Amino acid sequence: MATTQLKSDAIMDMMKEHLASGAGKELTEKIGLVYQINVAPKKLGFEEVSFIVDLKKGEVFKGKYEGGKVDATFSFKDDDFVKVATGKMNPQIAFIRGAMKIKGSLSAAQKFTPDIFPKPSKL
Amino acid sequence: MAMRDLVSGGAACAVPGSSSSSNPLGALTNALLGSSSKTQERLKEIPNANRSGPGPQFYPEDQQLRSLPGSELDQPILQPGAQGSEFFRGFRSVDQNGLGAAWDEVQNGGPMPPMGPLYEPVQPTFEGPPQRVLSNFLHSFVESSRGGIPFRPAPVPVLGLSQSDKQCIRDRSSIMARHFFADRGEEFINAQVNALLSSLDIDEGIQARGHIPGRFQELDNYWNESQAVVKPGLHPADNWAAEFNQHGIDHGGPDSWVQSFEQQHGVNGWATEFEQGQSQLMSNQMRSMEMQNIAAMEQTRKLAHTLSQDVNPKFQNSRFLQFVSKMSRGELIIDDNQVKPGTAPGEWATEYEQQYLGPPSWADQFANDKLSHGPEQWAEEFASGRGHQEPAEDQWVNEFSKLNVDDWVDEFAEGPVGESSADAWANAYDEFLSEKNAGKQTSGVYVFSDMNPYVGHPDPMKEGQELFRKGLLSEAALALEAEVMKNPENAEGWRLLGVTHAENDDDQQAIAAMMRAHDADPTNLEVLLALGVSHTNELEQATALKYLYGWLQNHPKYGAIAPPELANSLYHADIARLFNEASQMNPEDADVHIVLGVLYNLSREFDRAITSFQTALQLKPNDYSLWNKLGATQANSVQSADAISAYQQALDLKPNYVRAWANMGISYANQGMYKESIPYYVRALAMNPKADNAWQYLRLSLSCASRQDLIEACESRNLDLLQKEFPL
Repeated sequence: MATTQLKSDAIMDMMKEHLASGAGKELTEKIGLVYQINVAPKKLGFEEVSFIVDLKKGEVFKGKYEGGKVDATFSFKDDDFVKVATGKMNPQIAFIRGAMKIKGSLSAAQKFTPDIFPKPSKL
Repeated sequence: MAMRDLVSGGAACAVPGSSSSSNPLGALTNALLGSSSKTQERLKEIPNANRSGPGPQFYPEDQQLRSLPGSELDQPILQPGAQGSEFFRGFRSVDQNGLGAAWDEVQNGGPMPPMGPLYEPVQPTFEGPPQRVLSNFLHSFVESSRGGIPFRPAPVPVLGLSQSDKQCIRDRSSIMARHFFADRGEEFINAQVNALLSSLDIDEGIQARGHIPGRFQELDNYWNESQAVVKPGLHPADNWAAEFNQHGIDHGGPDSWVQSFEQQHGVNGWATEFEQGQSQLMSNQMRSMEMQNIAAMEQTRKLAHTLSQDVNPKFQNSRFLQFVSKMSRGELIIDDNQVKPGTAPGEWATEYEQQYLGPPSWADQFANDKLSHGPEQWAEEFASGRGHQEPAEDQWVNEFSKLNVDDWVDEFAEGPVGESSADAWANAYDEFLSEKNAGKQTSGVYVFSDMNPYVGHPDPMKEGQELFRKGLLSEAALALEAEVMKNPENAEGWRLLGVTHAENDDDQQAIAAMMRAHDADPTNLEVLLALGVSHTNELEQATALKYLYGWLQNHPKYGAIAPPELANSLYHADIARLFNEASQMNPEDADVHIVLGVLYNLSREFDRAITSFQTALQLKPNDYSLWNKLGATQANSVQSADAISAYQQALDLKPNYVRAWANMGISYANQGMYKESIPYYVRALAMNPKADNAWQYLRLSLSCASRQDLIEACESRNLDLLQKEFPL
């Protein structure tokens, strides 16, 4: 709902529906990993909101992952996450520039590509 | 090798084949320029010459020391052509024409000209005042180059040269020697130069290059030089990549990678910190004004807009320059304490404060940025932030080094899309640059096209309307740009320009144009709605909400139900309620339903949004943009099949509706039908090659559809090839 101001919320909501509709079936087959994505409104590490993108079960939710350890954790600023998710910035660049921080398995991180997120259509 | 080493001249800096490791930026420029050996040599030699010579200085030195990293670049940068002549002029002014003349001869004559008679290859006699003697002496040195024979100096009278003169001569002669003997080996050159120098009683000791006050200027000079050389066709990214590969071999190995990463990470942390403080500032030119008054944002925006029109290339230069300069600053603070006490770490903050209006306003400014945080909180926050960060960083680095770095390197080299490592890096670097450039556009400043054929058209407004009606959107945008350049207060011109850009799938420009329309006519409902829609597309909720509420407030029928105090604390639910009231007051008003649809999109209540748009469509069945809104809403709620038929309706009504074509592509891509999505993107791009979003999506679809072979065409924006490959 509109109470939060993160742009990433919009993408995550779409992702949720995307996965729920079965369109994300392929993704769970192709990737089958659990990612945690920490999004900070302004500054990395401050007031972060955590999203779990579970590409094993095909779910997206806010909060902590209960099913053990996530395969990789990414930290972004809100704008940078949107850029990466919409293909405006490639994840390698984001990493090199320090706009994205990675924790966890790097082979899992390698599968984190912009095409796993649905692209917003424009009114 | 870490960037920092490059700048600071660490031990790793010794460039293979070069005699000096103390000239770090030479190495940096090498890294940027790679191949041109002549250029490298020249770059390496220049700084000292510039420092000691009376030649023109790019900026006053004292200002250099006070200014912030990058802020010196606010001053106009020399045009590439001018840099060359500047260089030569610097050359000439040293030694009062002696060397300059020699240089001219060489330039005019070429390296090995067949012109004998003017300069007899005999030892000239040296008489007259020192200038003259020196000049003749140097001529004889130049002479020796023509025959390619070793230089045999004649005895020279004592000239009483000062230290700096000697250094000048030394530097310049070695530059020249490298030009003359570009085809000879390094040894030969050195021998020549040494012969000259020893005869002039100049020893190599002078060469000791300390950190001298002109240091920053040198950095800039290096950079300007390199810019001038890059322009004529070298592809910096390729060289960069090549260089990177080379270093990977030279200094490779997982350990050094990790180390340099750590170092870089430290630098980045610093840079990030710095950028954060300035994150809201829109461009270099605007920076100082913003500092003074953040409330005057709108005003300054206009100013930057004007500036951005004529100084575009400088923007680009200065952005990256700033980056380099910033790094050099960080390096100096850490490594060169002793040499440059003026920029010792502790004083950096002071310097910053001095630069901008003294401590109190700086704090205020920061407080503004940080909303409610006062200065004290800031200090605490910073302190605690540091406490948090450092261990976290260490952990992170440890984590990183624990990982199997070999794998990572290999994997990275393979690249996720199967390109060679060099390409991946080069692309990445290109992207980085283009993003830097694109950064300036996100600030809501309208960017005019260059070379607009409609400038000077007798009635560009009418022409623009006509073109828009015909559906030639890109042309219409040009005509309308010409109109608003002529009449900057023409609200309708700006509005139509904004609509054109929105239909052309460029929300950034649409927003920028609509802002101007809004400035000219703050109560125009269409403008308010368009701004609401564009900001919704950009996922900027709060801003979108503000404009949509503005629509209600300014509406002649519904303005009464919109309490003005609500504008200060906008909650989505309140506004949606008010719009529902409005729709009950007048159920036949399609516009209210449209705004409601947009509002529900904002809160991602897509089912309600779809209902609203469908209601509106019953009232306005021929509104193509409404069909597209319906389609986009359906697509966003993962009803792609419905979305495609809605887009089809829109395209039946307006075949050149770029946004609908691009949306079609998105719908296919979101269903995993990447191959099917490609022709739609290509179609959209054929109509508006400036639609950056569509290019990015096309690239994604190409790589997901295993058409890596055409990514190149996408990168180079080769539409002909793409259209041939993907006919619709």
